[in-house]
Amino acid sequence: MSEPVLSVENLSLGYVTPEGTVAALRGVNLSVDPGEVLGVAGESGCGKSTLAAAMIGLPGPNARIQSGHVRLGGRDILALDPGAQRRLRGREIAMVFQDPMTAFSPVLTMGAQLVDFQANRDAASGREKWRSARDMLARVGLSDPDLSMRRYPHELSGGMRQRVAIAAALLMRPKVLIADEPTTALDVTMEAQIIHLLRELRADFHCAIVIVTHHLGVIAELCDRVAVMYAGEVVEVAPVDALYHAPRHPYTRALLACDPANITQRAARLPTIGGRLPDLRDPPSGCAFAPRCTMATPRCRTAPPPRVAVAPGHNALCHEVTP
Amino acid sequence: MTALLDIRDLRVEVAGGGWFDPAGRGRLTILADLSLSLAAGETLALVGESGSGKTTLARAILGLQATSGGTMAFDGKPLAEPGDFRAIRRRTALMFQDAAASLSPRMTVGDAVIEPFAIHGVPIGNRRDRIAELLAEVGLAPDMAARYPHELSGGQARRVGVARALALKPALVIADEPTAGLDVSVQAEILNLMADLRARHGLSYLIITHNLALVRHVAERIAVLYLGRLVESGPTGAIFADPRHPYTQSLIAAEPLPDPRKRRADLAIRGEIPSILRRPAGCEFHTRCPLADAICRYDRPTLRDLGQGRRMRCHFTDTTTKGGRHELEHR
Amino acid sequence: MRFAARYPALGALLRDPMGAFGLALVLAFVAMALFAPWLAPADPIALNVRDKFQPPSLAHLAGTDQLGRDLLSRLIYGARTALAIALTSVGLAGIAGVILGMIAGFGPRWLDALLVLFFDSLSSLPMIMFALAVITIVGPGTGTLILVVVLVSIPAYARLIRAQTLSLSGADFIQAERAMGASNTRILLRHMLPNVVGPLLILLSMDVPVVIMLEAGLSYLNLGVRPPTPSWGNILYDGYTSIRSAPYMVVIAGLPLVLSTLGFTFLGEALRDAIDPKLKRRAAK
Repeated sequence: MSEPVLSVENLSLGYVTPEGTVAALRGVNLSVDPGEVLGVAGESGCGKSTLAAAMIGLPGPNARIQSGHVRLGGRDILALDPGAQRRLRGREIAMVFQDPMTAFSPVLTMGAQLVDFQANRDAASGREKWRSARDMLARVGLSDPDLSMRRYPHELSGGMRQRVAIAAALLMRPKVLIADEPTTALDVTMEAQIIHLLRELRADFHCAIVIVTHHLGVIAELCDRVAVMYAGEVVEVAPVDALYHAPRHPYTRALLACDPANITQRAARLPTIGGRLPDLRDPPSGCAFAPRCTMATPRCRTAPPPRVAVAPGHNALCHEVTP
Repeated sequence: MTALLDIRDLRVEVAGGGWFDPAGRGRLTILADLSLSLAAGETLALVGESGSGKTTLARAILGLQATSGGTMAFDGKPLAEPGDFRAIRRRTALMFQDAAASLSPRMTVGDAVIEPFAIHGVPIGNRRDRIAELLAEVGLAPDMAARYPHELSGGQARRVGVARALALKPALVIADEPTAGLDVSVQAEILNLMADLRARHGLSYLIITHNLALVRHVAERIAVLYLGRLVESGPTGAIFADPRHPYTQSLIAAEPLPDPRKRRADLAIRGEIPSILRRPAGCEFHTRCPLADAICRYDRPTLRDLGQGRRMRCHFTDTTTKGGRHELEHR
Repeated sequence: MRFAARYPALGALLRDPMGAFGLALVLAFVAMALFAPWLAPADPIALNVRDKFQPPSLAHLAGTDQLGRDLLSRLIYGARTALAIALTSVGLAGIAGVILGMIAGFGPRWLDALLVLFFDSLSSLPMIMFALAVITIVGPGTGTLILVVVLVSIPAYARLIRAQTLSLSGADFIQAERAMGASNTRILLRHMLPNVVGPLLILLSMDVPVVIMLEAGLSYLNLGVRPPTPSWGNILYDGYTSIRSAPYMVVIAGLPLVLSTLGFTFLGEALRDAIDPKLKRRAAK
């Protein structure tokens, strides 16, 4: 097995708010192998976006790292100084956001910004940078890349902007691409096209991709491995087929069961999970999912659940799961 | 039985205007020749991508968007003059896609849910009891009444939106993307809530969405819109089992399924919905259609009745076998 | 707790040291103006020529002027004049700005065009020249001063409110009100108004010291408040004319001007931070 290109080790991170510190990540361990597509699934508030931000070393001004590391090619990026972090971003690791409109400056053309993103490529001339930007736009499927280079962000549709954002992220050939809800703001038809594009690019660039989303369909279409998060913890990690066809953690099962897309027969009532997320200002000592879990026993409410390996590459954080 | 809502040949055009056309001669067509009807107690889903004109239709039904042709009738009474729309305000309600943004930011949840009573001068009796009752109906605790919109979660804001929409017991609720931006478990809760309320109060829903997974569960009939024109309509089950229009087929195929064993290798649909500024000649879908033939580029197909309540707008009678013999429609 | 939850902006204002300081200064001046008759140690217009040009002492904490009037008392009553003029004129201009701005932003387009033309032509007049022209026609006095300030300030306020109203009229919650059948009056008063006045309050607070300075300036030129009514400008003028015999007068007369300007400006700055929607959103999460 090759060295992971990105690994998150025992990462705990809290957000300082006037009402107390919110434990957004609680002991997360996760690694990404070269060229693999890892999906991070979970509902809002589970910490998946915080994890994505921490992976590129941008957890936000009120975040406090309580323990752990994020290693990218052997270096701990959270421990690096801001300048060194900046040099890693773009070259080694890049990110695509949900709303690409906010990732671009509204007053510069796409071409100017794509050239600018290559500022770290010292050896290249302006003309070369322009050409590689143009080629990248053609690669991500913009029909008229020369015209698109002269356009401003607002002149492009949402789908085109997301393509440009992906092109921008891949310009420096990073080893890891983090995509936070890359298709959530798009229509189904655009969503299908972006999924298709990411699949192609992964084959061409051999770049590892981390897809963070609440959309289980997108993960099933695209990922090799899936990590399911709940209340700041990774509750289950599994190869994609096992996760959808042999899920072990009760939360994963509940999540899959209530996805309307999973229920093909017309149903009068859809299953729901019930209950609500625990207050992460004061995380529970036992299993965080226990209050909503149908399998919970008294032990679940008091003792932290063990991580149970159920198959190679498949584990679940649960008292009731047996290997 | 007369339809609750009946729309015939509805047309919405806006002035193109602009620098070179101050007279607005270049009219942009947003909705064209749209006919729909909705029976009392029925749920109809209007499906299409953004830019298909589905939100404009909702606004037109409520009188918030001027129409330039066709007729609309609500419960048998025509909707044409501003007064006609005012007369049905109490019997219609609109649920917004962004539920939190549809609540006045400096108004508490309690004030927001009883606002329809204040607007229409309907007596409410004990204010607190009525608020608690309305909130209970959508599964919210009475202490939510003191909250402000920015203090609500996505699901809670959506419930407040439902409570307000149903406050005056309307006959028709238009719901714009009722589950957009919600987590899957919350989506299911909102859909269940809408189904319960429909059963309890005999509501009709007009659901506007691009999310097919949602449509399958809540709608009895589907109408698919492309660039402001109806391309296919019919009973939900029949359309999902056997979509006829190439656009409907692509939409269903494009939906990512939560099952890695059903991955799609090829691309279901290419390109983007064209801008209404550059409406394609002939069949509007020909620029993206896998079946498009010469005739599609200049001749606009008409809406054909396929029987069993199904209608479709395509030149081809057999759209299921790609590359198979297709019969052209002769007029 | 309930109070802080209802008025998150006030809590944020008080947490900001600059805002708390500004608010304290402003409140001190308001108290000074309101309770002038009880606070002032002497009658501000009673002459006592024998005691003229007394430097600060226990009998006259701020000294006396060329006519022997107690300076401290005159300054305290001067706060009354300054605040009365500033708050009245800024308040009237604010109300007119809100009404005109909302009409322009919400009303028909022809009315909007007309109002914008009116705002533009008003604001193209230079303030001091306009003030001098009005004073020449109407004659100097408190009423004239208020009239000038109101006329000159309306365009800026109305334009701000108009822009806010325009951007809100497309907002979902306004659309929702229309869909529910709310009348225009209801939409304007219940939904627009509370959401557009925030930024105006900041502008108003920042403009109060400008008006105080204008009043002082015009009074200094003998074009504002007529003597013997105590006004900071009049006192400053008296101090200037007697700068050789009583140099302390200018300093003492300038002090309340500086402090009140500081107070209102700090308050305005802190208000801007406190009601900034981005900061509020962060606090809400």
